Amino acid sequence: MVSGENAPVPDNQSTFGDRYEVVATSPLPEFSTRGGDAFVVKDKEKSGTDCYALVHHPAVPVRNEVYKSLQSKPVPNMICPIERGLMNLMIDGKRLQRLVTIFGRPTGGVLMGADGKLHPRVNANRLRQNVALSILKAITALHKRGFIHRSIMPTNIYFSTPSSDDVVLGECYSMPPGYMQPFGMETLDLALSDATARGVGDVDSDYYQMGATLQSLYFGEMVWRGRDRDSMLMARVNQGSFWALGGGREIPGALGSLIRGLTADEVEERWGAEDVLDWFEGIGKPKRTTMRAWSMSRPTTFKGVAVVDRRLLANAFANDPAEAASFLKSVDFPSWVQMSFRDEVLSERLEGLLNVKPDSGFGGMRADDHKMVARVCMFLHPTGPLHYKGKSLFLDGIPSLVAEAFSRDDRESLSAVVEMLDSKFLQTIADICDTQGVKFGKQIADLRQVMAHASSKQLGKGMERILYELNPILPCVSVRFSNVWIGSIIQLMRALERIAGNSNARNILLDRHLAAFCATHGTDLEREFNNLAAAQHNPAKFNSLSLNFFGLLQQRCKMEALPNLTAKLVDGLAPAVKGLKNKKRREVVQVSLDKSKKGGDIGKLCTEVNMIKVQAEDAREFSQARTLVSRLERERKKLSRKILPNDPEAIAAGLRGGRIVAFAGLILISFLTFF
Amino acid sequence: MAKKQKKPALRKRRNPQQEFSAFGPLLLFGLLAAALFSPNAAIVAAVGLVPTIVLGFTGRGVHKGARLQCVGFANLAGVLPFIPQVLARNDAQVVVGDIFNIVAMFGSAAIGYALIYVGPMVASYVLQSLNQDRLKKIAQQRQSLVEMWGHEVLGDKDDEVAPKGPLRSKL
Repeated sequence: MVSGENAPVPDNQSTFGDRYEVVATSPLPEFSTRGGDAFVVKDKEKSGTDCYALVHHPAVPVRNEVYKSLQSKPVPNMICPIERGLMNLMIDGKRLQRLVTIFGRPTGGVLMGADGKLHPRVNANRLRQNVALSILKAITALHKRGFIHRSIMPTNIYFSTPSSDDVVLGECYSMPPGYMQPFGMETLDLALSDATARGVGDVDSDYYQMGATLQSLYFGEMVWRGRDRDSMLMARVNQGSFWALGGGREIPGALGSLIRGLTADEVEERWGAEDVLDWFEGIGKPKRTTMRAWSMSRPTTFKGVAVVDRRLLANAFANDPAEAASFLKSVDFPSWVQMSFRDEVLSERLEGLLNVKPDSGFGGMRADDHKMVARVCMFLHPTGPLHYKGKSLFLDGIPSLVAEAFSRDDRESLSAVVEMLDSKFLQTIADICDTQGVKFGKQIADLRQVMAHASSKQLGKGMERILYELNPILPCVSVRFSNVWIGSIIQLMRALERIAGNSNARNILLDRHLAAFCATHGTDLEREFNNLAAAQHNPAKFNSLSLNFFGLLQQRCKMEALPNLTAKLVDGLAPAVKGLKNKKRREVVQVSLDKSKKGGDIGKLCTEVNMIKVQAEDAREFSQARTLVSRLERERKKLSRKILPNDPEAIAAGLRGGRIVAFAGLILISFLTFF
Repeated sequence: MAKKQKKPALRKRRNPQQEFSAFGPLLLFGLLAAALFSPNAAIVAAVGLVPTIVLGFTGRGVHKGARLQCVGFANLAGVLPFIPQVLARNDAQVVVGDIFNIVAMFGSAAIGYALIYVGPMVASYVLQSLNQDRLKKIAQQRQSLVEMWGHEVLGDKDDEVAPKGPLRSKL
């Protein structure tokens, strides 16, 4: 991409930008998240307020509903957003337009720094009396509004003031739920999925995070740090998360029973709000955590390792799907199930759903083997993520997975998602879960609305469309807009106007991100995109359709004049105008275009010069002219030859003439004779 | 048992070179009518129109009718001036007996034959002239189409105009 084609940042600062001044030289790393970088901010209108600014990363979708709810009615004991808006910033010597959210800033400091250093005021007593209660207040208020926090971390909890014992929970709006959280800080089911695709989760997952956070703060260390995923998983499955996170260390007293209850791996056993309140009042009976029977009747040896836990087996299969497919095809599957899961009956229906076919003898991985492994994994661990081609995800985590894959240009992940977005396959997965008592039909229904776009190569469709449909708040992440924040069609049009003022904006609609963004945020543009897609290889027609398209958008958004964009679009019509065969029409159209482009009203220009109609008319009349020319040519050839007296034509005409002369003579003589 | 297929009915196709002309029957009818009115006039006409009658019976070819009409009209023009004489004297012998009269009547038929011979020559000349006019008009029409649509309308792919002025001088 030519740098000149990048949309320049607007010259004028927004009203929001005029009010707040982000001090880019003063970062606040303790408030930074995966979704944005925090900086000191000055409120020019209201001095003395403690706040910080979070400069959002364009590739990470924010939780818009959470923002709306918290901004309108803040939750106590939680960092809530005050305002947000677009702002021009100078970050690392680069001028950028970014979405900035202003948050109320706790000044007491973070309980645990990013380096794992504990705040000196944190101790077991404060954890028991203040921290646990504050977190509980914050998350229960959030749960009442229908939101899950999923970002409860020791590094995301702060003392409200330097002298106060009250703590506030960090914000959870700047990134998707559970986005890039450490393996140990998520419930087992959620942790097994990829860090970018953990989905919304549920209330219980917040309580688990609360327990893990308290445990981490109690030990004064990041309990997840320095542990690789596989060993942590093994420890959590075999010993339970409490012991795995604590490394076998006990937490004595009431705090220990609270943390043990909160970090219970089984949802039924995990403490909720009522249990925690009971614990505060001292009337709750400490619960013992048990290990649910995820064990198989007899171990299965896969890749030389004897696995007893079905979650571990599902994980092992997911880590090496090729080997798993080969293993499943080599065993007598019904017998293996009967032997390994004696408590379960492999009904004909379930066997049909799993559809594990024995090895056909041709070797190698079949196209649908990945799906077969995914089905078996889901059978083994129905509450866990969907495993497919090395990707592990929850269906409601697909939006953030797709956003992250696009930000890294990870085509492999995107193609896996395309294959996964198969209605039949997902329905089978849902049916398998259903037989195990787990339901996720609604998530499939949500995805079904966009599935049709996934495999399409058309403009305005494909995975780019999926990205914007599933993440409606995400700005347009086209490389052209890397400097600016495009959150709506109006912003897009203004950015295009600036691009057009600085460089060449031709064929801009061939940008798949831009097309998908327009298709998602504009209404009833399908027909326009179908026409554009059909004219992709015909520059003249494509440019004419582009003009119509932008004219339509300008009219619909009731936008101001866009002279630069109009001029560039008119310039883009040069091949179309040159392609007009009728010289007079060409001149007339060129004059009309030159006259109209100065106004900057693309819609009006389209009305005055309907290029598509003009082109069609020109082509039709040219075809008629060609027919006329060929007819004239035939006639000319016919008339060019010399006519001889013995030509039938000359004979016929001559005889006709002779007859007339003879008849005239007869009449004359008759007249003379008788009168 | 298979039905016998019907043979298509044979159609008598008229020889395209044999054309039917009403001139002969009309002439015959005219002679008979004239015989009722004045037998002497009918005799003179019958004798004077012998070339036409002969042509009517012996004529073949594409333009038989036209030739017959041509000769017939000319022949009739030669016969008609003698009819008043016959009617006035009521004697056909006076006219038929004079060899010069016969020559005059047959000569008029010869003029008809001459018209058949000269007609195509004149016609070819006239048609050639008309074609030239039409060709001029076609050229004008073609030129106006080229001016409107460019050379592409003639089927030429290359519609580029040859470089002029400075570019040409550079070349």
